[in-house]
Amino acid sequence: MGRKKKKQLKPWCWYCNRDFDDEKILIQHQKAKHFKCHICHKKLYTGPGLAIHCMQVHKETIDAVPNAIPGRTDIELEIYGMEGIPEKDMEERRRLLEQKTQESQKKKQQDDSDEYEDDESAASTSFQPQQVQPQQGYIPPMAQPGLPPVPGAPGMPPGIPPLMAGVPPMMPGMPPVMPGMPPGMMPMGGMMPPGPGIPPLMPGMPPGMPPPVGPRPGMPPMTQAQPVTAPGILNRPPAPAASAPTPQPPVTKPLFPSAGQAAAAVPGPVGTDFKPLNSTPATTTEPPKPTFPAYTQSTASTTSTTNSTAAKPATSITSKPATLTTTSATSKLIHPDEDISLEERRAQLPKYQRNLPRPGQASLGNPPVGPIGGMMPPQPGIPPQQQGMRPPMPPHGQYGAHHQGMPGYLPGAMPPYGQGPPMVPPYQSGPPRPPMGMRPPVMSQGGRY
Amino acid sequence: MSLFGSTSGFGTGGTSMFGSTTADNHNPMKDIEVTSPPDDSISCLAFSPPTLPGNFLIAGSWANDVRCWEVQDNGQTIPKAQQMHTGPVLDGCWSDDGSKVFTASCDKTAKMWDLNSNQAIQIAQHDAPVKTIHWIKAPNYSCVMTGSWDKTLKFWDTRSPTPMMTLQLPERCYCADVVHPMAAVATAERGLIVYQLENQPSEFRRIESPLKHQHRCVAIFKDKVNKPTGFALGSIEGRVAIHYINPPNPAKDNFTFKCHRSNGTNTSVPQDIYAVNGIAFHPVHGTLATVGSDGRFSFWDKDARTKLKTSEQLDQPISACCFNHNGNIFAYASSYDWSKGHEFYNPQKKNYIFLRNAAEELKPRNKKYCLPRFCCN
Repeated sequence: MGRKKKKQLKPWCWYCNRDFDDEKILIQHQKAKHFKCHICHKKLYTGPGLAIHCMQVHKETIDAVPNAIPGRTDIELEIYGMEGIPEKDMEERRRLLEQKTQESQKKKQQDDSDEYEDDESAASTSFQPQQVQPQQGYIPPMAQPGLPPVPGAPGMPPGIPPLMAGVPPMMPGMPPVMPGMPPGMMPMGGMMPPGPGIPPLMPGMPPGMPPPVGPRPGMPPMTQAQPVTAPGILNRPPAPAASAPTPQPPVTKPLFPSAGQAAAAVPGPVGTDFKPLNSTPATTTEPPKPTFPAYTQSTASTTSTTNSTAAKPATSITSKPATLTTTSATSKLIHPDEDISLEERRAQLPKYQRNLPRPGQASLGNPPVGPIGGMMPPQPGIPPQQQGMRPPMPPHGQYGAHHQGMPGYLPGAMPPYGQGPPMVPPYQSGPPRPPMGMRPPVMSQGGRY
Repeated sequence: MSLFGSTSGFGTGGTSMFGSTTADNHNPMKDIEVTSPPDDSISCLAFSPPTLPGNFLIAGSWANDVRCWEVQDNGQTIPKAQQMHTGPVLDGCWSDDGSKVFTASCDKTAKMWDLNSNQAIQIAQHDAPVKTIHWIKAPNYSCVMTGSWDKTLKFWDTRSPTPMMTLQLPERCYCADVVHPMAAVATAERGLIVYQLENQPSEFRRIESPLKHQHRCVAIFKDKVNKPTGFALGSIEGRVAIHYINPPNPAKDNFTFKCHRSNGTNTSVPQDIYAVNGIAFHPVHGTLATVGSDGRFSFWDKDARTKLKTSEQLDQPISACCFNHNGNIFAYASSYDWSKGHEFYNPQKKNYIFLRNAAEELKPRNKKYCLPRFCCN
């Protein structure tokens, strides 16, 4: 990615003025120091992203970027790596550096810089630093093994078009450096139209995408992870343009489920398929609500009260045995231990098994309806639920209870059956089937069924 | 202006009939309280179908009763009638024409309550408590479907004491939902079966559960052309699975999300994980609401895969929820669900049913670059 506005100079952090060798490292620094949530330690990508995260997840507002020097604490400014730095601050920085390290900068890189046209910016210094900037470094990567040619070039939409042409040649060189990237890269090179082009790129960049987000930690193992960042950068610019988001949705959807597959760590995805995992569903900012934290966090996070980590519920389905394990180190299931439903547990209580009409309320219609002929083939029995409470059933004198207290649809209209005069008291109790041989005759009166 | 009209500003209305805008936690969302709530935990809520003018709400409870209220547009709730079983009522539903209410009870029966005559008769019998009851209205038949802990699913013509059909379930029925022509039933031991109801009910597919814990609630959702296309399944482990029946790409389209948990992302304290007690889909927007043992309700957009809102925490679990037919009203019940066992049951504690204007809060999240990210819920 380099070519475009590299803002020359070595990458430096706008929030704290520190210098870095590489933009990727700069970004790592920013995520860890400036965009890290103080409550949950989640690393976001931008200042506004952090603000939104804190608001939505923790319901806290923050008004300054953590660990930033005074004057550089603006939380609203969307800065990512070297992108988004206000021009005047850039100039200030350049001046500063020129004063101090002009020479050393010159020494830094050498060139190939022909292609790097920088956009307007000042000449001399711009060249060299540019090359250095490998962020997107087409060329530099070549020169510096450390920077895998990030196909990120696409990331530099503005002003780069001319460079693009130059890119392709680079490509061939890339493959060796970027595992898994190369195929994806090519197309990108072709498409670089700034801004609008970016979104389409995304799909092409699969490998690049995911990494920016989660993999950070995993980067190192991945061969410099650098390629990863590139795409990340690539994402950023589009975001403000708001054009990018549109293509995003299709991408984001799969995001969650695949996150499960991607399994924690890393990034295997980087090189392989496009699994935009965790967070960043839509370029830039974190998803407004961490609704599906299982996916975003992959690691850690809770759950797994019982067997298996719930992290990947969608895909892996390990069958679970019946007994519940309700506690674990990280979480506690608020549920009684036995694996029966809450209602079953509650229904076992004698209080709910009385089958008595509530005090003051008649049991309506029970009897008539009851086991109307045929329905009740001898019910074997009353399973535990009812402990034969029946016997004590008081004759329900009150059938009229229906409306107690209710203005009711039908004021007082208690149709006979409802109440049960036919009810032959003995049968009241609820489902009682048991004794009765007699029932049927009684029931039939009710007839209705 | 109607309190429950689609553009009403009733919002966090302190217009509760009882003026219960107090600071205590029984109604932190300042929603409307339904008058004369049941005396014991509420197990189910259901609003009348669009065929009835106005809105009527029924609630079944562990006090063995099912109550009916009229809910007026200004938020006033008027108790209308009630019926009793001889055991706790576990589920209730309306017929499609709004003239009957069906109730299922621990007394192993199900009843049909004719609201016009205010009579209730038994229409179903099982060998164990009846946990679910749904009305099925097919072009060529109508019946009541009951699911029971006796591991059967029975279909009843209300005029006959014998079931029209009995289907065996692998385990005790825990929850079910019907959106014609699809029915989804979840059982103990994480069983999950989908039925197709055209011509006659038949088992369509047994699905391996996307969740690893006990199933607790299920709700079918529809696609853009109003055909049932999948369901949301909630478990006791603070998680909901969104499952499509025939998705183009199951690995990507089906997913689960965590909900009703405490402590957010603070990993220093063990997280409390609560059961999802109910799921309901908004009939117009297709977004969903979940209610949990943690005493909160949340609104979600399953297509954008984001959370729309989470409520403040009530001082009791929320045991049931439902939307009215046009999605303007969201009703939720605050009562103890036994999630902490017998010890935490306080029979003196009042049970509540709250009504909230749902027209605005459940609008789907715009998937494009979201300005909404700057607005708080």
